[in-house]
Amino acid sequence: MKKLLYIIVIALFFFLVLAPLLSIFIGSFIKNGHFSIENYARIFTGKTLNLLLFSILLAATVSLASTTIGGLIAFFVVKTDVTFRNSFKFLLLIPLFLSPYIIAVSWVDFFVLLGVGTDFIYSPAGVVFVLSFIFAPLSMLVISSGLTNISSGLEEAGLMMTSRFKTILKIILPLIKPSIITSLILVFVLSISEFSVPAFLSVNVFVTEIFVQFSAFYRHEAAVANSLVLISMCVFLLMLEKFYLADAPFLTVSSKAQRIKITELNRCKIPVVFFLAGYLTISVIIPIVVLIIQAFQTGAAALGKALKLLAPTIAGSIFYAGVGALLLVLFGFVFAWMTEREKIRPINTILLFVFGVPSTVLGIALIKFFNTPVLSGIYTSFGIIIFGYLGRFIFIVEKLIANALKQIPDSFDESAQMMGAGFFVRLRKILLPLVLPALFGAFVIGFLLCLAELGTTILVYPPGVSVMPIKVYTIMANAPQGLTSAMSLVVLMITFAGLALLFVGYRFLNGWTKKRCSF
Amino acid sequence: MKLIATAVLACLAMFYVSCSTNSSDTVVVYTTVDQVFSEPVLKDFEDQTGIKVKPLFDTEETKSTGVLNRIIAEKDNPQCDVFWSGDPVRPNVLKYKGITTSYPSPVAEDIDANFKDDEFHWIGFSARARVLIYNTELLNPEEAPQSVFELTQKKYKGQVAIANPLFGTTSFHFASWFHVLGDEKAKEFLADLKKNNVVIAASNGDVKKRVSRGDVWCGLTDTDDAFEAIKEGAPVDIVFLDQDGLGSLIMPNTVSLIKNSPNNENGKKVIDYLLSRETEAKLAISCAQMPLHKGVKTPAAVPQLDNIMPMKIDYQKTAQKLEDIQEFLKQWVESF
Repeated sequence: MKKLLYIIVIALFFFLVLAPLLSIFIGSFIKNGHFSIENYARIFTGKTLNLLLFSILLAATVSLASTTIGGLIAFFVVKTDVTFRNSFKFLLLIPLFLSPYIIAVSWVDFFVLLGVGTDFIYSPAGVVFVLSFIFAPLSMLVISSGLTNISSGLEEAGLMMTSRFKTILKIILPLIKPSIITSLILVFVLSISEFSVPAFLSVNVFVTEIFVQFSAFYRHEAAVANSLVLISMCVFLLMLEKFYLADAPFLTVSSKAQRIKITELNRCKIPVVFFLAGYLTISVIIPIVVLIIQAFQTGAAALGKALKLLAPTIAGSIFYAGVGALLLVLFGFVFAWMTEREKIRPINTILLFVFGVPSTVLGIALIKFFNTPVLSGIYTSFGIIIFGYLGRFIFIVEKLIANALKQIPDSFDESAQMMGAGFFVRLRKILLPLVLPALFGAFVIGFLLCLAELGTTILVYPPGVSVMPIKVYTIMANAPQGLTSAMSLVVLMITFAGLALLFVGYRFLNGWTKKRCSF
Repeated sequence: MKLIATAVLACLAMFYVSCSTNSSDTVVVYTTVDQVFSEPVLKDFEDQTGIKVKPLFDTEETKSTGVLNRIIAEKDNPQCDVFWSGDPVRPNVLKYKGITTSYPSPVAEDIDANFKDDEFHWIGFSARARVLIYNTELLNPEEAPQSVFELTQKKYKGQVAIANPLFGTTSFHFASWFHVLGDEKAKEFLADLKKNNVVIAASNGDVKKRVSRGDVWCGLTDTDDAFEAIKEGAPVDIVFLDQDGLGSLIMPNTVSLIKNSPNNENGKKVIDYLLSRETEAKLAISCAQMPLHKGVKTPAAVPQLDNIMPMKIDYQKTAQKLEDIQEFLKQWVESF
């Protein structure tokens, strides 16, 4: 029964995501019906390699900056008694759920409002600046989970022997090294694949080359070949991380961790609050205030118009994101189970490969695979949007669930098994209640990611269907700035509602499972 | 568990229902024209004919090429009936790839032959022009360049913005220079522009923003972007360049019928509607586009084609030229 479930899930994932991708990648090696490497030959020119090198440098700088900032913030909000730590923890995550493009637009407008010129922002340094603010919350999240998992006993032992500073240097830093490396690699992968921010800030990067092949030359196979170079690099890095870190947790949303040793800040409390508040102002408040100023420049009319324009898309978008998140959690749970409990490791590699695929390539792959006379029923339905979500976010959702599973001792399951309980009974009575808060967290994060997805959706959404991010971007082209800012604000409000749901639901489920699992 | 099962069943039901079959009273239109302008026109068609339009719009973020890439990817099993483009570049790409088919709409008989494909794979209507937009706080009208060649003068160094010439109407504008001036002179002109530190913006909308804000003195953009800036109250004005020389590039909207599309007959009805005087009048009001039919009433602020000296180009040959020079344009952009 269990094996049948695995086979069904793997077969479905293969059909919905892998087969389209494999067919398009195989296609990039075929020209006029024969094997050819022509599409790959043009990549290895001096110019392209220089561009690749420049992009690597840019992504590495963003990765270092985000990890440093995110790590510092994570330390303050997890390991110290800084005032408002829970509020900071929540508010500082906001940039993660805003579109990078919108953030870039608001930053440019901010520099203009400030009257300091735009030379800085329209430069590689500007790209690093904007992307670092976008990805620092991700680093914060990853490193926070590492800090949460440190045994307080180790720290206390260290403090008995030496100073606070040395304890951080000799005990905490080595213990959170896996999280730091995960953050460095994850942010690197995300920034090297980011197109909208460098394009808006007129900085040429390697991913622009993929876009140019698609959108200026319409050479789909060449674009796929370029993206395969990027994917190979990302997968190589992520594999390195896997081999190096083995089973270290990637990201957790559950709090079944060790008791946390909290450092009292004493006299440093106020400076730290100022630091966090300052950072919050720069990374969250400024972009949002710029949007608000622009939206209300001509009174509240723009907001009313934005609501009117977006109203027909809200229910549909929430429904698609909800179905997408549900599917992500279902697939994510089975894959997490297979990797964590059954130790079927190749699943990780496959999900890593899918994660590295640029959104445009995934979109084209889905079109070419599903738009056939036999499968066009699927292609013209909303299902195609959902398959896009599945391909884009399964890696993240699976990791969230896998790390929650990691924290549940095998002995619980083994004891029930010894008592004669079958797989599905154990799943229902023991594992699901324990892992439910994490599943819920994964659902809400999946929901928010699906709600904001643009790259693949723009290529596959069925005619006549309206999805929120697409509506914003299609209106953005020639609408007054006030209207597009107002639309971004409306999207933001809906995202906030989703985040609020995450926290309320998380508390509720945590309480409920604690009651059910109190032995 | 029951809740999850019910949710899954509900989704499957929705999925089944949404697996649409194309019925006789629908038509699928893909457009690169900004949604704010194209959607009301398609809605009016729907109201007048009772034929349901399933539109698909494009975004600035994908440089309005998402839709075209999609049509190309769908080539073997077309889903789109009509492609409404904001310029004549994209329908030519589709024609060369064998994706469009001929439809000599009777409604377009009085439209100048220059705005039609020889084999009627596309027909033009409501045109925009490429213009110079300048910031009136930074330049007096008499200081504003009157010719595109003035943009290479030292006094405008670093003060001129253009959109990335690999995409959209800017790519066609560049191709028109190659078509009219010849390769050698055009390349020389582009080298001079580069020497004069011309600023490459992300899009025509970005050119408009940069000029409106005063980041640069002036830039090349489309009339709809320029008029939008004026409507928003930005301190800008426009110049139709080279009125005593090359002339201004006129960029018609175009409409094409997709070969073997599922609702071909309804597609023809949409094409006839888009090519009508009524649509041209609407687009003149909403985005200051210039009608190609003679005698269409337009607001006073909308420029008349008769009052502008157009650049004399063959649209098909210019589109072909664009294919030839794209590799050069890519290198030119990368050299910045």
